[in-house]
Amino acid sequence: MVDLSSIKADEVLDCKGLSCPMPMLKTKKALQKLQSGQILEVWSTDPGSKNDIPNMCKKEGHEFLGMIDEPGYTRYFVKKK
Amino acid sequence: MSFKDSLNELYNAMFRSSYSPITGGILLALLVILLEMWYRPWGIVGGLRNWGEWVLYGIGFLEEAPQHPLWFSSSVLDLGLLLGAFLSATLAQEFGIRIPPKLEIIKGIVAGILMGIGSALAQGCNVGGFYMAIANLSASGIAMMLGLMVGVFIGVKYLLWEIEHFSSQGGIEISTKKINPLLGLIALFILFYGIYAYFTSDNENGVKLGGAFLLTAGIGFIMHRSRLCMVNAFREPFLSGEATMAKGVALSLFLTTLGVLFIKMAGIQEANVYVTPTFIWGSLIGGIIFGAAMVVAGGCGSGSLWRVGEGQVKLMIVVVFFSLTNAILRYYLDNVWEIWDKGILGKAVYLPDIFGYGGAFIILAIVILLWYLFVDWNEKTEKFVIGL
Repeated sequence: MVDLSSIKADEVLDCKGLSCPMPMLKTKKALQKLQSGQILEVWSTDPGSKNDIPNMCKKEGHEFLGMIDEPGYTRYFVKKK
Repeated sequence: MSFKDSLNELYNAMFRSSYSPITGGILLALLVILLEMWYRPWGIVGGLRNWGEWVLYGIGFLEEAPQHPLWFSSSVLDLGLLLGAFLSATLAQEFGIRIPPKLEIIKGIVAGILMGIGSALAQGCNVGGFYMAIANLSASGIAMMLGLMVGVFIGVKYLLWEIEHFSSQGGIEISTKKINPLLGLIALFILFYGIYAYFTSDNENGVKLGGAFLLTAGIGFIMHRSRLCMVNAFREPFLSGEATMAKGVALSLFLTTLGVLFIKMAGIQEANVYVTPTFIWGSLIGGIIFGAAMVVAGGCGSGSLWRVGEGQVKLMIVVVFFSLTNAILRYYLDNVWEIWDKGILGKAVYLPDIFGYGGAFIILAIVILLWYLFVDWNEKTEKFVIGL
């Protein structure tokens, strides 16, 4: 198990305040710009992201590393395939 | 395991975990059928229009006062749904005021206006014009379904274009996590007090409204827990190929249609209920406009309302402009241009009049099955996926 709080992400994507499907679409788009093995951190406030982002990773083959709830938003960590 | 642990487990299963779209779809069908037996078909736009008309009356655009929102059934259905979604969101610690960046606010205004126009032409949104129209054996429901598919395709094209050209950041959430349990208790109190007040009122429809309030609160609750979203059902086959939500909605629609078939055969509801004079142009054109707009809005009629219930400010903006535009356009269509009598946007086609009850049901079942088979096939082959 990776210790999420110690992860240094290569890129941070701010999706706060956005509603479905924008956080998922933006995550997909941001992943395209990364190199294989790099880590993307996404900040989202939409409760739907808790299902959408892991599901998208599964479908696209990226590794979903986990999420951390912070006051007012959630941080998601994805490793590009 | 102690008794307390068991209780905790039950609370988490019922109020915190998300239900699958299939579970949500089945529960939705059950509640919608009960509602139509108890009182009337489920709907969204009628209530929104009532709220919009109050604003128009307030600024002097309408001369006559609309019906009281607490005693007008369409409005009560929407209030119930909002309350149910709010209850679900607060009990699950998912409620929070989410303020989007500027671009999303503009999208909310434009999409809301277009949803108002589309739902006025089709005399219903994705609920009254599509889901409940099909369930009530109206040909208009099929026309709107086709329109929605075309519209959603256009909407998805726009979203993909936007993603390439704009990036909007800087939204915030005002977290209410600490007071969410309290807000949940307040919602529960309003629910029980509302039901009590309706059941003990002198109003001739008091008991019916009380039951409808409870049933639509249940609809809002389960829609929020399962994040049941008809935008997702129509959009994802084009965007990612994912068909889970589409299958949940298709199953739900099939069950509701079966239930309402018996309600109409038994004469519990009149044949012409929810059969609108919009076949084919009103439903088709309205469906295209509404379909494109709901993708940009990120919520359909029902989906926008339950997202308002979890504190999404963008969807609040959508609902305001949706309500106002629908109220204004319907005023002109109904009273000034008298368009329905002229039959320009189509006519009312009740399928059993032509094919009998059995034939009507078989036709609708085939339409729903074709949709199911299409999204399932597309999920595997990704033939219609135009994603990033």
